[in-house]
Amino acid sequence: MSGAGEWAAVLAKVRAVPAGLAAWGALAGIAAAVPVGALLALHQASGPVDLPVLLAYPPVMGALIAIATAPRLRGRVPIASAGLVMGLLGWLVWSLTLDPWLRGERLDWSIVSAAHAYPVLVADLAHGSLTALLVQLLRAIGPLRAGTDAAKDSPATLGRVVIVGSGFAGVSAAKRFERLALRNIPIDVTLVGSSNFLLFTPMLAEVASGALEPAHISAPVRASVAHTRFRNRTVAAVDTDRKLVELAPGAAPAEWVPYDHLVLAVGSVPHFLGLPGVEDFAMTLKDLHDATALRDHVLEQLEQADSVEPDPAERARMLTFVVAGGGFAGAEAVAELFDLVHGVLPFFPGITPDEPRFVLVHSREHILPELSAALGDYAMQRLRARGIEFRLTARVSGATPVEVRLDDGGTIPTRTFVWTAGNRPSPLVRSIGGEHARGGALATDSCFRVTGLEDVWAIGDCARIPDPGGPDTFYPPTAQHALREGAALADNVASVLRGRTPREFRFRTIGVLVALGHRTAAAEIRGHRFSGFAAWMMWRAIYLAKLPGVEKRVRVLLDWVIDLVLPRDIVVTRSESPTRPERVR
Amino acid sequence: MTSAPARTREHRGGPTRTVLTGAGAGLAIGVLFTAGMLADTLPVTALTGYAGSSPLATAAQLVAAVALGGLLGLLLGERVTGSGELVLWGLLYGACWWFLGPLTLLPLARQGSAAWDLSAVQAQLPSLFGLLLYGALTALLYGALRRCLSPGPRWGSLARGLVAGLLSALVLQLVLGDAGGLHLGWLLPAGALAGLCYPLLFGTHKTGAGPGLVQGTTYGFLAWLVAIAVVPVLLGGGGAAWSRAVVTEGAATLPPYLLLGAGIALVFTWLESLGEWLFVDDITKLRSTSPGSWGIRATGYGAAAGLVGGLVFTVVMLAVNEFGQVARIIGMSAPVAGFVVHLVIAQLIGISYAVLFRRRSFDLSSGLGWGVCYGFFWWVFGNMTLLPLLTGEPLRFDAAALDLGFPSLVGHLAYGAALGGIYFQLEERIDPWWFTRSTLEAQQAERRRTELLGTAPALWGLIVVVVLTLPVIIGG
Repeated sequence: MSGAGEWAAVLAKVRAVPAGLAAWGALAGIAAAVPVGALLALHQASGPVDLPVLLAYPPVMGALIAIATAPRLRGRVPIASAGLVMGLLGWLVWSLTLDPWLRGERLDWSIVSAAHAYPVLVADLAHGSLTALLVQLLRAIGPLRAGTDAAKDSPATLGRVVIVGSGFAGVSAAKRFERLALRNIPIDVTLVGSSNFLLFTPMLAEVASGALEPAHISAPVRASVAHTRFRNRTVAAVDTDRKLVELAPGAAPAEWVPYDHLVLAVGSVPHFLGLPGVEDFAMTLKDLHDATALRDHVLEQLEQADSVEPDPAERARMLTFVVAGGGFAGAEAVAELFDLVHGVLPFFPGITPDEPRFVLVHSREHILPELSAALGDYAMQRLRARGIEFRLTARVSGATPVEVRLDDGGTIPTRTFVWTAGNRPSPLVRSIGGEHARGGALATDSCFRVTGLEDVWAIGDCARIPDPGGPDTFYPPTAQHALREGAALADNVASVLRGRTPREFRFRTIGVLVALGHRTAAAEIRGHRFSGFAAWMMWRAIYLAKLPGVEKRVRVLLDWVIDLVLPRDIVVTRSESPTRPERVR
Repeated sequence: MTSAPARTREHRGGPTRTVLTGAGAGLAIGVLFTAGMLADTLPVTALTGYAGSSPLATAAQLVAAVALGGLLGLLLGERVTGSGELVLWGLLYGACWWFLGPLTLLPLARQGSAAWDLSAVQAQLPSLFGLLLYGALTALLYGALRRCLSPGPRWGSLARGLVAGLLSALVLQLVLGDAGGLHLGWLLPAGALAGLCYPLLFGTHKTGAGPGLVQGTTYGFLAWLVAIAVVPVLLGGGGAAWSRAVVTEGAATLPPYLLLGAGIALVFTWLESLGEWLFVDDITKLRSTSPGSWGIRATGYGAAAGLVGGLVFTVVMLAVNEFGQVARIIGMSAPVAGFVVHLVIAQLIGISYAVLFRRRSFDLSSGLGWGVCYGFFWWVFGNMTLLPLLTGEPLRFDAAALDLGFPSLVGHLAYGAALGGIYFQLEERIDPWWFTRSTLEAQQAERRRTELLGTAPALWGLIVVVVLTLPVIIGG
């Protein structure tokens, strides 16, 4: 979170402290000060009683005690003990520190000073206990009753929210709803996801290259949002009129989940643009299955080329790896494939290092359009220096099991074709009404409300969210945006449920990073450009920190350390070994 | 013939029954005290703070004992179970009555003003001891009458206590050596005895290592109280046994006793956990979450909270120029080096707090309570013991040392409060233990809340009221 965001969170927390609680606490402090102050005044009859202190200390201490002692602290005796502790701290802060300091005396916290202030210590301890008891009394019978355990432990929910999608956006929203529940804004949340884990997609290419274990870049949803009701199901349909979400039958029968507010965070799926053969013969890199299948497929090609294949043309097809799309996913995929193949080549003595061929097909003149042209060129230069070929200003026009066809008439013989050149919103989005933008994403306003639908919200890759910062500009579908959108959406839904106005989402992209394989990366953060080893270190540090869950961070870190000292595993884990990468749909 | 339905503890009479039981227990202990006073084996000021051996004064003592016992019974009610819990609440009750009775109500009635100044407080030291013992004994007798004492410990538990006591005493004896002429030959038998008694009070009350450490520190105070106030009386020390002079002289043994108690509790808890880890094969009886899943986050929170606490402590350190002394730990003398060492230590202690007190606070005040207690422990263990050892200075536990170390005590308390408060705020942000998602979890949370509320507030109160005010009384 940005510094401004942190401050906003702190301010929100301060505002969340019920002013009434503090006010009643202050009154309790004043009431408790009457007998204690009278005793102190009688005791110090020969000396002056500090009137300003007598007026200021009790309400401040009372408010602090009321805030610091939650209704969870049941019983008179326990809360009186808590009051004793607060009284002691009040004595330390006021009588031993602030009071002498304000009088211009030297602060020494000596036992002589303490002995001098001993009567006040007794008074402060008594005042703390008495105040705490009065606060407890107010909670039991008086105006603070609403904040007692009975209300806190089983609060009525403000509404039912169903979140569809367990990606960055959906889980981030669910996490925020949990935080809101801690602030006594209880909302009944159900999270529906077809997978029971949150996939950290920025590291997917490293799974495909065998540098990381698949399970290590995926955090269980149940661990991430432990207090949210989770359904590991697929959504079959949404009835926005009756406000029902239908969960598709599977191991369990079909189920209808009612909602007051629906959050769609279903992400995107590969879009093959209707190109002949592409959907059938291209591999994708969207989920863990894709990544492990790609790794297994590449290793199988190496196995066959090394030991079986006598035909030079077929051998060349087996050792040619084509990636379509020069965005982040494509550039990282081709770089990681290069690392994988050359990293394991010593195990395949029948393949010479100059045999494997890597080709990146991209429709523009520069790869990585998300970066500045200079960094894009840098990335291309680094990849080209390793021997990766670029077919720029060319588009894939079709594919067969043995070749990729380009729109300039060229063909690339290959048995490995990775498609990263297009995405579209999940098919579920198409079945939902409301206004759809070009590409099929749900059009929303800047508060995430889907245009044309009541109480339906959309975030993440499946939504087209306008950026209030400029006309006709929209937030890009990246993880950093999805995370912020999820949190902001939860706040907005909570606001609407409480009868308040939702806020526009405003977020300035922090930066973009792309890994270019072995010890190289390119990054652009707040306008500052980084490249090479420093950028690679930055990439690893930032994404390691962003990985959900400490446990996964440790595991990924260990994977990286192991990758430094041990060779990559060439075990093919797939039980069946198809000779060509036909997609199983 | 049908048997009557079993009566649970919750249904053995209402407040009247508890008040009557408490009054009976109070009367019995009152008679014991009065007999001791009449036989001149107890100070005559022990119970009410006022001298007098006339029949009227004796009757007044007994009436006070009955009234105090009845009120204690009312406060304890049915909620408190277990010998250790009863003793802790009894001690706190006695300490509170010392403030309320001999220092406030009685002087108010006699001379129209409370007696809160240090000289009056020091004069009432015998009644503090008397009321502490009265409270503990009355609470125990109340528990016996209500049949809510802990069941007798198992042999294994007693053996664990003995090992913990001997081990703690041995380590202390080795570390402390001949601390300031304080001959510590008594530590080993005292450790063995205290170790054997620990399971009798706390053997069946399972608690975490952090609360156990605070409980042990308080147990150490109780052991010191017995050693300095009960044993001399039993040996015929007479009415002078609880005088300020005797107590001031005995103050030198207070820190070793506190450390002994803390050591016993820690080793006892760890031995128990080790036994479970080695010999319990039913995973449902063990902790369900592995340390790796929470440890790193807790460590980070502890380091951050410790850093904040260290910065708060810095104010005191600057004022009393202690950075030079701290720097000597690493063989330097520059204040800057001392500041760095101070912050590193603050973070290390913060991390240890996170490990020991993770998920033990349930609101800000409880975080402050644990933090203050932990800060106090580190004053005894760190400032009074480790710092002299690490800087090559002689160990001193006498009244003068308490006097010298008082600014550091203030700093440690401020540090502990900041540490506990900040750590609670950080921990509360994510998945607090009381935020449950199922009925089962809610029941577990309720059990934990009941456990915490059973002893924790008594521990905070005792540390604040007794152990913290004692240095002022002795050294002031």
